[in-house]
Amino acid sequence: MSRPIPGHVGYACSYTPLALVLASGFTPYRVLPVTSGPDQAGLHLHDNLCPHVKRILDRALAGDLPDMAGMIFMNSCDPMRRLADAWTKVKGGNVAMVDLPVNGLSRSVDFFARELGRLAGILESWGGDPVTPKRLASGIAATNEIANALAGLENHPPCGLGGSVIYEAYTACATSPPAEALAFVKGIVGSRSTSMADSDAPKVFVFGNVLVGSEAINLIEACGARVALEDTCMGSRMFRRMEMAEGEVSFTALARAILSGKACARTFDPARPGGIALDMLEAARGCGARGAICHTAKFCDPYLSRLPHIREVFRKEGMPLLVLEGDCTARSIGQHSTRIEAFLEMLR
Amino acid sequence: MLGQYFESLESGILSSIEKDGGKASPRKLYALEIARLGRRLYDGGHKVAWCGVAAPFDLLNAMGLTSCFVEFVGAMLASTGMAGNIIEQADHWGYSSDACSYHRSVTGAALAGLMPVPEILVGTTCPCTGGLGVIENLARHFGKPLFVLNIPQNDTVEDVRYLADQLRDLVGFASGHTGIPFDQERLTRAIENTNAARELFVEIFDLASRVPSPASSKDLNNFMISLALLLGTRECVDLARAFKDEFARRVETGSAGVKGEEIRLLWIQNRIQFKNPIEKMLEDEFRACIVIDELNDIYWDPIDPDDPFEGIARRCILIPFNGPSSRRIEHLKKLALTYRVHGAINPCNWGCRQGTGMRGLIEAGLREVGVPVLNLEVDCVDDRKFTEGQFRTRIEAFMEMIGSNRSSRRDS
Ligand code: SF4
Ligand code: SF4
Repeated sequence: MSRPIPGHVGYACSYTPLALVLASGFTPYRVLPVTSGPDQAGLHLHDNLCPHVKRILDRALAGDLPDMAGMIFMNSCDPMRRLADAWTKVKGGNVAMVDLPVNGLSRSVDFFARELGRLAGILESWGGDPVTPKRLASGIAATNEIANALAGLENHPPCGLGGSVIYEAYTACATSPPAEALAFVKGIVGSRSTSMADSDAPKVFVFGNVLVGSEAINLIEACGARVALEDTCMGSRMFRRMEMAEGEVSFTALARAILSGKACARTFDPARPGGIALDMLEAARGCGARGAICHTAKFCDPYLSRLPHIREVFRKEGMPLLVLEGDCTARSIGQHSTRIEAFLEMLR
Repeated sequence: MLGQYFESLESGILSSIEKDGGKASPRKLYALEIARLGRRLYDGGHKVAWCGVAAPFDLLNAMGLTSCFVEFVGAMLASTGMAGNIIEQADHWGYSSDACSYHRSVTGAALAGLMPVPEILVGTTCPCTGGLGVIENLARHFGKPLFVLNIPQNDTVEDVRYLADQLRDLVGFASGHTGIPFDQERLTRAIENTNAARELFVEIFDLASRVPSPASSKDLNNFMISLALLLGTRECVDLARAFKDEFARRVETGSAGVKGEEIRLLWIQNRIQFKNPIEKMLEDEFRACIVIDELNDIYWDPIDPDDPFEGIARRCILIPFNGPSSRRIEHLKKLALTYRVHGAINPCNWGCRQGTGMRGLIEAGLREVGVPVLNLEVDCVDDRKFTEGQFRTRIEAFMEMIGSNRSSRRDS
């Protein structure tokens, strides 16, 4: 059931400038594609759109949302644009569509900085505070604090927590005010002693886009894997540490940090076409993984078009890769358990 | 394979024109120019740029680059019946069958060595995410430099300037990588050609909107989407003039594109690219004519030939596929009313998140102006999935519905 959380602004993409939302006095609330509401999005969105956007629309249609001052959409891909269109039509209210270049070249940074300035004005018109440099600096500091706390979990001494625990923390941080988020993370550190140091479970690197909630990672771990690192849009890509001195804080600096931070397949450097394949390989090697699992939402064009090359590179470089497609439910991961088990068997 | 195809297409059309004493219908001249473009792409004697759909082709033509959006290859493979086999190559590489078949066929063609190696590639973020992914793949496959145009969603002064600045960067990029120096004079002439063609297009579309329309369903099939490739050239102006003159003649003589025109239709997005009986069936059995295609419209202003970058940028931004669906739907409504259509057909190309994704929204929007939409679930490139019987049933039912709507309106 939804509970009223005043002062929240919804968002649906990891490129959303969370620091800016915090700077305007709102709490960013990630509308996760998880709902027990009926499947009704098909009335407005074609079946060939990813389940990520369809489930978010289902939440809007079922009224399965907390009170929110408005909803921010990033122009990350065709389905996100279509979701913004459909959301505007079926739910109305305050909606902001923020343009998002596909690269971090200087012109793109300047353009995106202007978009961030425009978003600041929109948030103010929704009842938020004016985003002054000082407020922006504190928004960035708050985001960094969460990012640091989460990074602390990833490197939890001496051995690291289970991936599902970390994922749980990401999800909590994406939907709670900063103070609550931090308390949650600290609580995990204090209460769990899950040590996987001695585990001989093969380490895997999990990457892709929408992997919802800790159950998904749980299921992968239950199949016998140790998730050493993940790079997904509801995990480590959501909170980016933004290195900038206080005097440097500006929309431009924020734009640069977002566009040059961890990227999903929709963002790329034209000078390095296909670079995502090498980046993911390096990440897999860097965390000592014996193999990698790429999980994507079905019908996701950014990944559909890059996956054949990613597969090719992993094959050539001898890094085992399992590609899974899902519909944003833990059930769909569950359906893949035999394949995951077989894959892990091969890694042992 | 495709190179030979274009070459023999060109020579075949030329000899048939010769046989007819130099006379040719505008549609034949159109086919000739498309064949010539295809030949230039494939003959190895021209510098090629593979692009996204929203690339500025007049600018690239003025730079001496034979440029083309990659989806053109998919359409050509479909029209020659070769798409299915080529798509299989992409499938073997692991390209998902959930992706758009334009992109699957282009990918297959590149893997099969059927795409000429370009000098550069120019990706565009509009119209679709999948298209940009393919261009990135091709840049890697060919090992050639890639430039990406981020096309903003809005046409504010700042957004137009952002794109115009990228276009200026593109000139430097293209020149640097191809060794072709930028010639302002040549660009000015190209833009003058664009503007001259634009004026003629306005007249063509005005004539096509008459009742009955002088255009048959086939006359303006793939028209603007293909002619965008020739923008900036003399050939484009000549071709536009040929269409305008022919339509003016038909209007004057009262000769309709479809004899006894009964039903007027709007076609959304692109046509089905492989040979199919739909247009003929519409015309022969229902005296229904596709009088307007979504992209057959002039939605941009004349461009300043001496300082064209802002004007070109605005044209790219205003392509109906860009921006929110509300803008696209307003455009469709405007076309529906201007052309006095009785219904619209939306071929929902499987794999197209951009266009097919908004199917429901388009249908609701056109309903507001009393225009029913027939959504055809189809793959516009891969004919292996096409089942004529199913389409026939759906079209018959739709035509009947339009017919009874019209007679009940007449009765009331
Ligand atoms: S899952 Fe893919 S297609 Fe869907 S919203 Fe995310 S990036 Fe876009
Ligand atoms: S049909 Fe859709 S996805 Fe395919 S090329 Fe056209 S706009 Fe892109």
